[in-house]
Amino acid sequence: MIGEPAPPAEGPLANLSVVELADGTAGPYTAKLLGDFGAEVVKIETPAGDSTRRRGPFPDGKPDPEASGLYLYLNINKYGVSIDIDDPAGRAWVDRLLDRADVFVSNLQRNVLECAQLDPETVRKRHPRLVVTTISPFGDSGPWAQRKGDELVTFAMSGMAYGTPGMPDAADDLDREPPLHPSCFVGETIAGVVAATATLTAIHGRRRTQLGCHVEVSQQAAIAAMQIRDITNASYTGKPPNRLLNPTTIGRMPNFYLPCKDGYVTVTAFMDEHWDRLVEFMNKPAWALSAEFSDTLARTRNWIALRLKLIEWTMTLTGDELYALAERAQLPIFPFYSIRKMASSEQVRERRSLVAVTIGGRPARMPGAPFAMRKTPWQLRRPAPRLGEHNDVFLRSRASLAS
Amino acid sequence: MTTVGNQLPLDGLRVLDLGQFIAMPFCTMWLAWLGADVIVVESRRRFTSRTAPPFAQGHEGEPNGSGYFNLLYSRKRSCTVDMTTAAGRDIVRRLAGKCDIVVDNFSTGVLEKLGLGYDSIAQLNPGIIMASNGAFGRTGPMRNARGLHSAVNLFSGVADVTGYVNSHPRILGGVIPDPLSGTYSVFAVLAALHHRQRTGQGQFIDMAMYEAMMTLIPEAVIDFTLNGAEPTRTGSRDRVKAPHGIYRARAADTWIAISVESDGEWQAMCRVANRPDWQTDPRFQSADGRRINVAAVDVLVEDWTRERDVHEAVRDLQSAGVAAGPVLRADQLLDDEQLNERGLVITTDHPVAGKRRQLGIPWRMDTLGIDYQRAPLLGEHTREILTTLLGIDEHAYAALEADGVLA
Repeated sequence: MIGEPAPPAEGPLANLSVVELADGTAGPYTAKLLGDFGAEVVKIETPAGDSTRRRGPFPDGKPDPEASGLYLYLNINKYGVSIDIDDPAGRAWVDRLLDRADVFVSNLQRNVLECAQLDPETVRKRHPRLVVTTISPFGDSGPWAQRKGDELVTFAMSGMAYGTPGMPDAADDLDREPPLHPSCFVGETIAGVVAATATLTAIHGRRRTQLGCHVEVSQQAAIAAMQIRDITNASYTGKPPNRLLNPTTIGRMPNFYLPCKDGYVTVTAFMDEHWDRLVEFMNKPAWALSAEFSDTLARTRNWIALRLKLIEWTMTLTGDELYALAERAQLPIFPFYSIRKMASSEQVRERRSLVAVTIGGRPARMPGAPFAMRKTPWQLRRPAPRLGEHNDVFLRSRASLAS
Repeated sequence: MTTVGNQLPLDGLRVLDLGQFIAMPFCTMWLAWLGADVIVVESRRRFTSRTAPPFAQGHEGEPNGSGYFNLLYSRKRSCTVDMTTAAGRDIVRRLAGKCDIVVDNFSTGVLEKLGLGYDSIAQLNPGIIMASNGAFGRTGPMRNARGLHSAVNLFSGVADVTGYVNSHPRILGGVIPDPLSGTYSVFAVLAALHHRQRTGQGQFIDMAMYEAMMTLIPEAVIDFTLNGAEPTRTGSRDRVKAPHGIYRARAADTWIAISVESDGEWQAMCRVANRPDWQTDPRFQSADGRRINVAAVDVLVEDWTRERDVHEAVRDLQSAGVAAGPVLRADQLLDDEQLNERGLVITTDHPVAGKRRQLGIPWRMDTLGIDYQRAPLLGEHTREILTTLLGIDEHAYAALEADGVLA
C-alpha cells in the first residue's frame, strides 16, 4: 500500500447538509465555502441554469454552459439538480430536499421565492430547525428593501468605491479619476463570505436554542462593514474622507505608490529609521540630505518635490530590484505583481494557493483554499456539477427514502 | 446596548486575542458581538491598535483615546501582561489553557520564539483552535516578508484588475485585506469549532491575507491560466452589462452608479433621461451593441447625469426599474437611512472618548442575539481575569504587579 494516497480527511463541516437555490456569485459562494469545508451541498438550478454558466471565461472565449470558468469555480464541491420551481411537483422535490437539510441558502429575489412558496417564513414553518440564509442587495427591510441593486450599486453604496484607489494610492485629479469599481465581483464575494460566516454562527446558536433561524444578509451592509478604516476616521474626526493624493489623505510622507522601471511599487518610509535606511540605499543623494527633506515634517510639507525625486530613483530600478533592496534594508517597499507573475511565484506554488482544474477538457488553475486548516484541509472533492447531473441521486432514491 | 434580547450564538466561547492592527482584532470584534468572551492581551510595551491616529479630541496619544482601539475592541476585556517577561509569558500560556480559541497576527515566528506557538499551547490544551494570520501566511518563501495591506493587494493580483480604462493598476480601497481576512478568520474558527464539537480535535489554522484576496478574482485567474489572457483595465465597466459605471453628478465630487442589465432597463433609462434619440439609436438597441459602443454610451449617460442632483437621478432611475445608487463616503454611511434602519449603525459610550458610532454585524437573525458594548480601558480587566480565571490570589497578584509583569 506504500505510495497509496491517504483517503481524504473529512472536512470540518462534514455532518452539515446544505441546499442552495441561488444565482450569480453571492449565494453560490456562500454554499461553496460550506461545501469546500466538508458540508454536503445540493445546488438547485432552474432548467435555464445558473447565469454564471453564460459568463465565462470560456476556453478560447467560445460560450459553453458546461465550460464557464466562473461557474466551475463557484460550484466545485457541490452536487447539482435541476428543478422547475414554478411547477408544484418541482416545489415538492425542493421540500423533500429541505427535509434532510440543515441550511437553505438563497440570493434569489424575494418575490421569486414567494411565488414558489420558498420564502424564509414559509420554509421555516415547514422546517423549524432549518437555518435559512438569504442575501439581498439592501436587506429585506428599510426604505431601499424594494430597490434594485447589483454588484456595482451595492459597492458604490458601501463606501468602498469612494475609497478606491486607496492607500497609499489616491486620485491625482478628482474629476478625471472617479470613484472606482474593480473588474471582479468584490461585493458579491464579500457578501458570500459574510453569509457563510453568518450561517455557521446560526448553526452554533441552534445548538443552544434548538431553533432554526432566518439569517438575513444585506450585501450593501456586508461591504460597508469592511470599511473600518474610513469609518474610524469619520467617527473620530467628524470629517469626510478625502480621496485626493495629499498628506491629509495619506498621512506622513513618504508613503507613495510610484512607477518603477518595469511596473509599480509602494515606498513607505515615513518613520525616521526607515527614511534614514532608504537614503542610505539610494547612496545618499544630495537632494535627500538637503534641508527640504531633513525631518518628517519637512518631508511631508514638501511631499510633491519628494515624490518626483523618488520617482527619478524608482524609475532606474525594476520592481524585483527594489524589493530585493527592501528586503536587505528591512524597508516596506513592495512591487506590483501581475496575475501572470503572481501565478508563477514560488509562494503561490509552495502554498498551493492555486489548484489545477479542467475546463472544457483544458487545464487551468483557480483559487483554492482561502486559509489552511492543518487537521481538516481544504479539498477539491468533486468538480462542479453539469446541469441536472445528480437528479438521479437526489430526486429519486435519496429523497424518496426520506419521504 | 443589546440589540436583540435573544440568546447570543457564541455565548460560552472564550477567545484569547493576541491580535494587532486591524485583521485579527476585526475577527475577534465580531466573535465578541456574537457572544464570545474575548480576552485581549496587551501591555504598555505592546499597544495593539492603541497608537495610531485618530484620537478623541483632547486625548491625542492617550491609549484610551484611540479611535481604532475603541471601535475594534468593542465588548472585549483588556488584560495587561508584558510578554517580554518570563512570568508574563507564563500567564499568557495559562490563559491559553483556559480558552477555546487563540488568534494572532504577529510576524511569522514571533509567538514560537516566545514559547507561545501552537505546538506549545496544544500540549497544555489539546483542543485549542489557533488561527494565525500573516500577510503571506506561515509557510512558503515569503512567510517572513513584510506585508502592509497594500503589499497584499499588489501581490494578490487584485490590483491587476483595478484601474481606469487602459491605465495602470491601482490599489483597492478600504485596507480591505485586513477586514476580509478577519472575516475569513471568523468563518475558519467557527468551522474548526464545529469539527471539535464532533471529534474533540483542535487545530492550527494558517491564514494568508493574499489568499483571502485572491478569492475576489477567480475570473481573471482562470482567464489567464486557461487562455493566457492578461487583464486590461476597464474602469468600472463590466464584460456583459452596459452602461455599467460611476458617473459625475451635478455637485462637486458627487457620483452616481448605474448598472443596466436588460434592453428593457435601457429603454426605461432613455425615458427617464428624456432622450428618445438614444432609444432609437441602432447602436444601442441590444446589450451587445451597447457593450461594443460603450465609450459612446458612457459619454451620453454622463452628459445627462452631470446636470442632475445625484439623489434625484437615483430616485428617478429606481422608480423606472433601473439599478442605480449614490456613491457614498464613509461619513455618509453613518447617516445612511437604509443602514440605520437595518440596525447596522451602532453607538457605544466610552468613558474617555464618549459616544461614538460605527458599523455592526451586517446580518440579522430572528432567533439569536447580538450584543454591542464599549471597548475596555487599558488593563481594565486584568485583576478580574487573573484572579477569577487563573485563580491567582491577591498576594501573588500584588507581587506580579510590583514586578512590572502586568504593566
